[in-house]
Amino acid sequence: MTNDSAMDRLLSASGRLFIAAAAFLTLAVLAGFGLLAPASTPGQIFWVLASKSTLSSTLRLSVPIVLAALGGIFAEKSGIINIGLEGLLIISAFAAIFGADATGSLWLGFLIGIVASTLLAAVFAVVCIEFRADQIIAGLAVWLIALGLAPFASQVFYGGPNTSNVGTFDTITVPALADIPFFGALFDASPAVYIMFLAVAASWYVLNRTTFGRWVRAAGENPKALDTAGVDVSRVRYAAVLLSGVLSGMGGAALAINIGQFTGNGPTMVNGKGFIAIVAYLFGNYNPVGALLSTTLFAGLDAVQLRLQTADVIAVPDSLVQTIPFVAVIVVLALVGKTRLPEAAGEHYESGEE
Amino acid sequence: MEQAVHLDGITKRFPGVVANDDVDLAVEKGTVHALLGENGAGKTTLMNVLYGLYQPTEGTVNVHGETQQFDSPRDAIDEGVGMIHQHFMLVDPMTVTENITLGNEPRKWLGLTVDSEQSRKQVRELSERYGFDVDPDARIEDVGVGVQQRVEILKALYRGADVLILDEPTAVLTPQEVEDLFRVLEELTDQGKTIIFITHKLGEAMEAADEITVLREGKNVGTVPADDITREELAEMMVGREVLLDLDRDPAEPGRSILDVEDLVVEDDRGVRAVDGISLEVRAGEVLGIAGVDGNGQSELVEAITGLQMPDEGTITYDDVDRTTDSRRERIEAGLAYIPEDRQERGLVMDFDLVENGLLGSQHAADYTSKGRIDWNHTRDHAEEIIEEYDVRPPDADAHAKSLSGGNQQKFVVGREFARDPRLVVASHPTRGVDVGSMEFIHDQINALREAGRAVLLISSNLDEVQSLSDRLAVVYEGEIVDIVDPERVTEEQLGLLMAGQQPDAVPTIAADGEGHQ
Repeated sequence: MTNDSAMDRLLSASGRLFIAAAAFLTLAVLAGFGLLAPASTPGQIFWVLASKSTLSSTLRLSVPIVLAALGGIFAEKSGIINIGLEGLLIISAFAAIFGADATGSLWLGFLIGIVASTLLAAVFAVVCIEFRADQIIAGLAVWLIALGLAPFASQVFYGGPNTSNVGTFDTITVPALADIPFFGALFDASPAVYIMFLAVAASWYVLNRTTFGRWVRAAGENPKALDTAGVDVSRVRYAAVLLSGVLSGMGGAALAINIGQFTGNGPTMVNGKGFIAIVAYLFGNYNPVGALLSTTLFAGLDAVQLRLQTADVIAVPDSLVQTIPFVAVIVVLALVGKTRLPEAAGEHYESGEE
Repeated sequence: MEQAVHLDGITKRFPGVVANDDVDLAVEKGTVHALLGENGAGKTTLMNVLYGLYQPTEGTVNVHGETQQFDSPRDAIDEGVGMIHQHFMLVDPMTVTENITLGNEPRKWLGLTVDSEQSRKQVRELSERYGFDVDPDARIEDVGVGVQQRVEILKALYRGADVLILDEPTAVLTPQEVEDLFRVLEELTDQGKTIIFITHKLGEAMEAADEITVLREGKNVGTVPADDITREELAEMMVGREVLLDLDRDPAEPGRSILDVEDLVVEDDRGVRAVDGISLEVRAGEVLGIAGVDGNGQSELVEAITGLQMPDEGTITYDDVDRTTDSRRERIEAGLAYIPEDRQERGLVMDFDLVENGLLGSQHAADYTSKGRIDWNHTRDHAEEIIEEYDVRPPDADAHAKSLSGGNQQKFVVGREFARDPRLVVASHPTRGVDVGSMEFIHDQINALREAGRAVLLISSNLDEVQSLSDRLAVVYEGEIVDIVDPERVTEEQLGLLMAGQQPDAVPTIAADGEGHQ
């Protein structure tokens, strides 16, 4: 028993280590080409990778994914698997634009996005905790509701699936630091990027250092232990799911305000980011920092993929280049192997039942 | 002496069941009090009433001389009553300290943050005060069951418990850990704590307790001092009639060979030869016992014979037909019944009701199906017959397996397997963790099969059990049969040496024809 779990930890650690090493090695090889033969194809790829604008678009793409992943961590750590993150992103993206449009303030719109997502998360929480619904089905319902509701509301208010443009946040630029090559992108970014970094740090702290974080983890591992210790498991789980609504709301609102409008065609502008967030926190093993790193890997590849399409570096069809991030995610997941799910994740808990 | 706990006329009714019927219980401060009874006698229910998990239908709970109304465990904890459940309430990936302080964490910085320094210090002090050897920073999943139990006790003490209730504390412990636990209990009573422990094991109650209260069918049968009562008297109080701790039976009249195992080799998951060249024969009308320390190839031997694992070498013959590579289904159809050592893992589907569980293993049989669909009426009748014949309580075919006590689960498994009218029974630890009444009943059933001319292979680490039930007793050590002995004449000392792989003098061996010789 104990040997097994120690072994599991070692194996999963080595899987992650292997990926990190492989990524680093690839980067080093590319850097070699970049310095020695800037005109060669690998050399050009390196300069695409090392450009400030790649990092800056990586960060921009990361924001909704990381924030939704943080929300997913809280919910799942508490025992409620929230696969409705995608829906929470969609509803908050629309609500933020609608709110900004109605109030004339981007920040009020941001707040309204958070409120909308939290309300939908509350419905999800009640259905799962109070009415003991299957969490996976309820989560899918959240996604489908948002997927239908947001474009429909857009149709009603704006006469089409896309809303009008409300403008974007001004970037916050730190003088001098913003001029550093590559890393300067960290100091010349939208407020949403800073919010994301703050949220990662705060989430890590709350999960690992506060009583609430400890209760969340206990609720997901052994709710009965928490219950017999005199803590109300349902309340902890409600709080965690609402928190996932707040965090995802920040992500969806940031996503929409970053572009200035909500686009509701097909899978909407969210386009699977909520599901990628689930992969990100699983790959990050429920650690907020891990989720951030795995998201930057994915978003980074996405950014590179976009640049490669326009830069015309390699003679490969665009549609193939577009698959790079998804292929990477599959490879990564296959290599990471086991992520240890919270013991009681997905299970309903009722106090006093044997 | 001061009374720490006084339960007065407690009655607890559940729909259709009276779990406790007007039970009085008085426990003196600073003593160890054993609550003894068969599975389903209402011991745990009574303690759940004291701990506030259940509210009594009638009667009052008095703690330290004051009448209490406990609406939840929280209330009980506030009055100094702590309970250590049979299944530990611990969070595996968290540390000892995190578990002990869970829900009562010392805080700092406006109460936002856990003060882990303070927590660790408190836990270390508590652990030292009662002489517990526990590392505050170890993860629960990395420590043994004995330590986990001590963590549970510390958790209760941390919350200020004076009265500790332990529900079947020894069920999961090794004999050495049981000794340690009893020492811990002594240390606790020396420091003025009061212990109530629930058990169905006579020996433990007599060894560890100052006083013993026996419950039977929800009623208090009597409270006796542990020093002046015998095992037989206690057993009679528990079961309500005289219990034959020894079996009386006719000599075996073995018939022809039913199971023949030749030169069997089975490798375990790591490629080690767990069964290393075992040959044995079981004949109609006899019980062949297999004794040995757990982990000497018994599990692999059983899995090869029952078809759960394919042997690497050797042959297995039932009734003169080579069945070495037959599937489970073919073996069941050939008349094999199997009582697995772990009823919850392999014997039952815990989330199925008894109707569905009764079908397991027979789902292909013509009696239970019609035109490819299950005949539920017949299946239900079958489950009800087992329940009736094997006295499974509560007698409700719709009850889920997990709602039954261990003894009743085991009776149901035994009933289902024996109902196949098997020619060969492989029984692996058939009475592990069951109470004395169920044990006697299962032993009677095994004997009845033997009388009826069936062949029984009995594997058990309980020496009393293999000795009293077997006609011949094979001792295994490191995957080989060291010797086959006469269970009636072999001494426990000789068995102990054989099980350790040694060859003592003058062992009463026995040949396959049943003729014993020195």
